Amino acid sequence: MILANTFCILFFLDESLRSLASPSSLQGSELHGWRPPVDCVRANELCAAESNCSSRYRTLRQCLAGRDRNTMLANKECQAALEVLQESPLYDCRCKRGMKKELQCLQIYWSIHLGLTEGEEFYEASPYEPITSRLSDIFRLASIFSGTGADPAMSAKSNHCLDAAKACNLNENCKRLRSAYISTCNREISNFERCNRRKCHKALRQFFDRVPSEYTYRMLFCSCRDQACAERRRQTILPSCSYEDKEKPNCLDLRNLCRGDHLCRSRLADFHANCRVSYQTTTSCPSDNYQACLGSYAGMIGFDMTPNYVDSNPTSIVVSPWCSCRGSGNMEEECEKFLKDFTENPCLRNAIQAFGNGTDVNVSPKNPVFHATQSPKMEKTPSLPDDLSDSTSLGTSIITTCTSVQEQGLKLNKSKELSTCFTELTTNVIPGSNFVGSPDSVDGRPRPVITLTAVTFLLLTLAL
Amino acid sequence: ARRKRARLRHQPCGLRELEVSVSELGLGYVSDETILFRYCSGTCEAAARIYDLGLRRLRQQRRVRKEKVRARPCCRPLAYEEEVSFLDSRNRYHTVSELSAKECGCV
Repeated sequence: MILANTFCILFFLDESLRSLASPSSLQGSELHGWRPPVDCVRANELCAAESNCSSRYRTLRQCLAGRDRNTMLANKECQAALEVLQESPLYDCRCKRGMKKELQCLQIYWSIHLGLTEGEEFYEASPYEPITSRLSDIFRLASIFSGTGADPAMSAKSNHCLDAAKACNLNENCKRLRSAYISTCNREISNFERCNRRKCHKALRQFFDRVPSEYTYRMLFCSCRDQACAERRRQTILPSCSYEDKEKPNCLDLRNLCRGDHLCRSRLADFHANCRVSYQTTTSCPSDNYQACLGSYAGMIGFDMTPNYVDSNPTSIVVSPWCSCRGSGNMEEECEKFLKDFTENPCLRNAIQAFGNGTDVNVSPKNPVFHATQSPKMEKTPSLPDDLSDSTSLGTSIITTCTSVQEQGLKLNKSKELSTCFTELTTNVIPGSNFVGSPDSVDGRPRPVITLTAVTFLLLTLAL
Repeated sequence: ARRKRARLRHQPCGLRELEVSVSELGLGYVSDETILFRYCSGTCEAAARIYDLGLRRLRQQRRVRKEKVRARPCCRPLAYEEEVSFLDSRNRYHTVSELSAKECGCV
């Protein structure tokens, strides 16, 4: 009877904890009060509706056309226009990747921001909205794809990059756009011209823009144990057409070429914003956001700054754009710094490895790291309690807490309550709280929260 | 199992699909990549025309004997998938068009 009461208490406690937790989940989705800014196309419309703003904006565009920043700022009229526009919605507008009128949006963004920055800054602010999703669906998918929980002999043999190609071929949309870029990039034009690079880049951009990242990242960032797999990974973007060239340009020259194009400039700025090494975070990535870094890396494929794996080494991952620092003159140091953001970037490397392994970071050191070790077969089987041995250690401990109550000869005719114990503990997640990692898993078996478990356990021991 | 087979055989003409490795197709490409192969299968009895009945009758009467004729419609692709690309075991890409059926019909 005491125990029956305990269940009631537990249930009640659980409910109240949940209700406590729900407001924080709301905050979590808004990410510290950050509100999405208006996009620049919309901001332009707002400005056009106002005569003062629209005339100043016209002036500024004329100022910027064909003149460098210094001559522009020497002009009083231009400077006044810039000052007025800093108060307008145009000033902090942003763009979205793959949005309608993306190029137009970016043109508007840079028309203001080129006037504001020094113009020759090493890192430029990204015109794209930050990726706010918590870490994240694609990582959870990755953990299932990589199937690390499966038979070790099997996973040693398996080629994740081949599996990724299979997954793409079996999806109508992915197969169509993959075949489209492969046939474009693989089409030889003449003995002198390997392929139509421009068309190849365009087809690659369409593939990465229009196919969900669960397919594209899986092909691009699959983990490898042997060279055949790593070579397949390197071949993903058909580097002989899209990446390699007769000559390797200097990286700073390549950067200047890229900055001459609004889209390339924006994607590069976005890469710098999301993959720049941070010394404050455990993952070396800004805000520990792997997904944002991988997204902006993939966002550069199909532009002048297209990055790729430099060789087919399965374990040591080195990516780089097609350039070198030879011939840098007195800019050698800056060139090396630029190149190292690709070749020796712990944030980027960690993000690629974490995706390939299907592991994610749990940033708060108080929480145990949840290794994603579930195999895909668990999707089908009912989660309780037959496959206890398959589940993660944490999941097991909670479930056994409940089963031990059952085993101790509890004659509970309220088996409903007992199943409540299972379901509440195993499916109930407190979103948002101090979880930066992925609290619930993809197969519909969310992982319980440790604090809740602790309280439950304490109460149980008290009762017994 | 036999009944299942019989049922399958009597299904009307339509698109079926199979996951196969490129090597299995025996087209000379060596690749472990898996693709979705769609083909046409099923019966076309309902689609028989007067033409087929007439031809059958003439064959019975041995008026048509020597040529090879087919007095019933056949389940065949009406349209094919444009192209499918894959990487072979020597790291070369290939694109094959009209490999897989897209639409079936009795013709």
